Amino acid sequence: MASPCEVLVDTRDYVLAKKLVHIAANEAWRIEQKFSRYRNDNVLYHIHHASGARVKVDNELALLLNFADQCYQLTDGMFDITSGVLRRAWTFDCSDNIPTQQQVDDLRPRIGWEKVSWQQPFISLPVDMELDLGGIGKEYAVDRAALLISQASDIAALINFGGDLYATKPPMSRESWQVGIESIGGLNKTGVIQIKSGGIATSGDARRYLERDSIRYSHVLNPKTGCPVEGAPKSVTVASPRCTDAGFLSTTAMLNGKEAKSFLEAQDVAYWIQN
Amino acid sequence: MKKHQKITLALASATCSLINVAADVQAEESADLGDWDINAAVLYYTESDRVSAFEPVISAKKQINDDESISLKLTLDSLTGPSANGAVPGINPQTFTKPSGSGSYTTPANEAPLDDTFMDTRVAFNASWEQELSRMTRMTLGGNFSKEYDYLSLGVSAVVAHDINQRNTSFTTGVSFSNDTIEPEGDIPTAFGIMQPAGSTQPRQTSSDDKTIIDVLFGITQVIDRDSLFQVNYSYSQADGYLTDPFKVISVVDGTTGLPIIEDATTNLSQVVYENRPDSRAKHSFYTQYKRNFTGDVLDISYRYMFDDWEIASHTVDFRYRLKTSETTFWQPHLRYYQQSEAEFFQPYFVSGQQPAEGSDNFYATSDYRLGEMTTYTVGLEYGEKYQDYGWSIAAEFYLQSVSEPSVKVGQLAQQELYPDVDAFMLRFNYDF
Repeated sequence: MASPCEVLVDTRDYVLAKKLVHIAANEAWRIEQKFSRYRNDNVLYHIHHASGARVKVDNELALLLNFADQCYQLTDGMFDITSGVLRRAWTFDCSDNIPTQQQVDDLRPRIGWEKVSWQQPFISLPVDMELDLGGIGKEYAVDRAALLISQASDIAALINFGGDLYATKPPMSRESWQVGIESIGGLNKTGVIQIKSGGIATSGDARRYLERDSIRYSHVLNPKTGCPVEGAPKSVTVASPRCTDAGFLSTTAMLNGKEAKSFLEAQDVAYWIQN
Repeated sequence: MKKHQKITLALASATCSLINVAADVQAEESADLGDWDINAAVLYYTESDRVSAFEPVISAKKQINDDESISLKLTLDSLTGPSANGAVPGINPQTFTKPSGSGSYTTPANEAPLDDTFMDTRVAFNASWEQELSRMTRMTLGGNFSKEYDYLSLGVSAVVAHDINQRNTSFTTGVSFSNDTIEPEGDIPTAFGIMQPAGSTQPRQTSSDDKTIIDVLFGITQVIDRDSLFQVNYSYSQADGYLTDPFKVISVVDGTTGLPIIEDATTNLSQVVYENRPDSRAKHSFYTQYKRNFTGDVLDISYRYMFDDWEIASHTVDFRYRLKTSETTFWQPHLRYYQQSEAEFFQPYFVSGQQPAEGSDNFYATSDYRLGEMTTYTVGLEYGEKYQDYGWSIAAEFYLQSVSEPSVKVGQLAQQELYPDVDAFMLRFNYDF
């Protein structure tokens, strides 16, 4: 998952705790192995190297693709799992390394979920295009791990995969879990979120941006322009019944730029914005 | 400030299906796209003392490219055994002439007359082509061909399905057209013509006739939540042309004794007249189905109401429950109940003197039990095993058909059972490659 992962289990039974943590870890590794675009032994690799031919996918990937399709529809194309190729032009290493318009324009024909043919269970990807499930995968892994833990035991657990988290139920000793939000970008105060159960996800990163001529470029890229979204908050945190929903809503809020707050306001969810 | 739409509800249903359903998926199969998905099935059907059928079916589906697929299906049917000819039983043996006109068969006393010359083989071939018209719209075009010794059916169909509401609602519209030609052994009988002894000239009109059937269907399927869906269909069917069964006859009996009139004393031939049905039939049918998944088990219940302008109305209730007994095995009990009212021209027999004159095309009557007041029950059980690459199942069904006796039965008919109950047993074996 390329980030620290932890599982808190509210029990005195060491053997049970260990078992539950293993369940979560195995599920995270399974999902990473299966959907990472950095491996050459999974179905994503086959899809990327099929030269446009159809590839039959299993039920789990089909569900993820259906979900990605729905996200694309719900956001009028702003949430697009084919936009990962933009990373070839944009490297958010806190430098002033802004790509030229030409570099961005060269990549734009390679983006667009509507160009992908997806007819369950067959997908074919135009040559040069890429699928990146990174925007869904981590939150999906959190929800899956939570589901498996709840199926194995009714003990309260908090799953935290790199800041995307899910609480199965409140711990025995208190009313809710206390989750701190990292303050970023010069903000001094650190927030604490109380969560009984459900998912929390954050979009935005203190360590991933570009800055030139005092303009700060967020790492959230608009698939339609190929450029960072203007006026996006530094970070958006959303609480929702599932981590996957929370992740999608926080990312979509960022994609809405200056409109992030009004977008979240319309969704009836708890959220925290850092500008 | 732009008004933002609330998308959390649609999102919640999307993630629900994502998180919970993916549970059992482990193995990753990569594509082998040139393959045909093939299914083979064999059906054996037998009615006690009556028709039995043996029916192998092979079907295949192939994905041509991303948004196009083709399906083919070949059915062979072989039917043998006697079937009811429509005449009433008598206290003496009765003789009838075979449809060909060149031979006869005799029914023992007190038994419903069965024509034992019934034997047929049918070959049917269906092909359909499915094409995605747009992201949310699919079209299926089909053609079918079916040939029996004396029957040919040719048909075409088109169905368009359109999804909206994040694919939670689906609308279906379909139309089909078929043209059937019948060329019965011994030609088409004249309406209410009297059956003559074997070897004599029979009351016949033409050697063949045909009918056309147009069907129109509208349907809505709605996903209710991640585990259940509901479907509603309306269909209209219009049949025009020759809808009579050329092999069915109606007895003419004495108004006092109820005994069949003897047409020919030397051969013991009973007096029977050929039936005649209207040359058009319009059917309306309403169908609803509910399916629900209970963590692996699947409940499937449906109800159909049909009525037509022959004044037949029917109710069908169907219940299936698929019980998952392990990751690879299932049991599925099946119950079906069917009830229909009789056609307005249903006529179990004629009292002598009241039968229409030969050639009365505008008078309609049939004694065919399939158009009578009838109730049927089906009880079945299926067992199946499903693996990643193949699956098989075996199903056994028991069927009971009960046709109401006429309210008035003259003379000896009061002691006879005009429509004895028929029970049937069916065995089906299915294999998926």
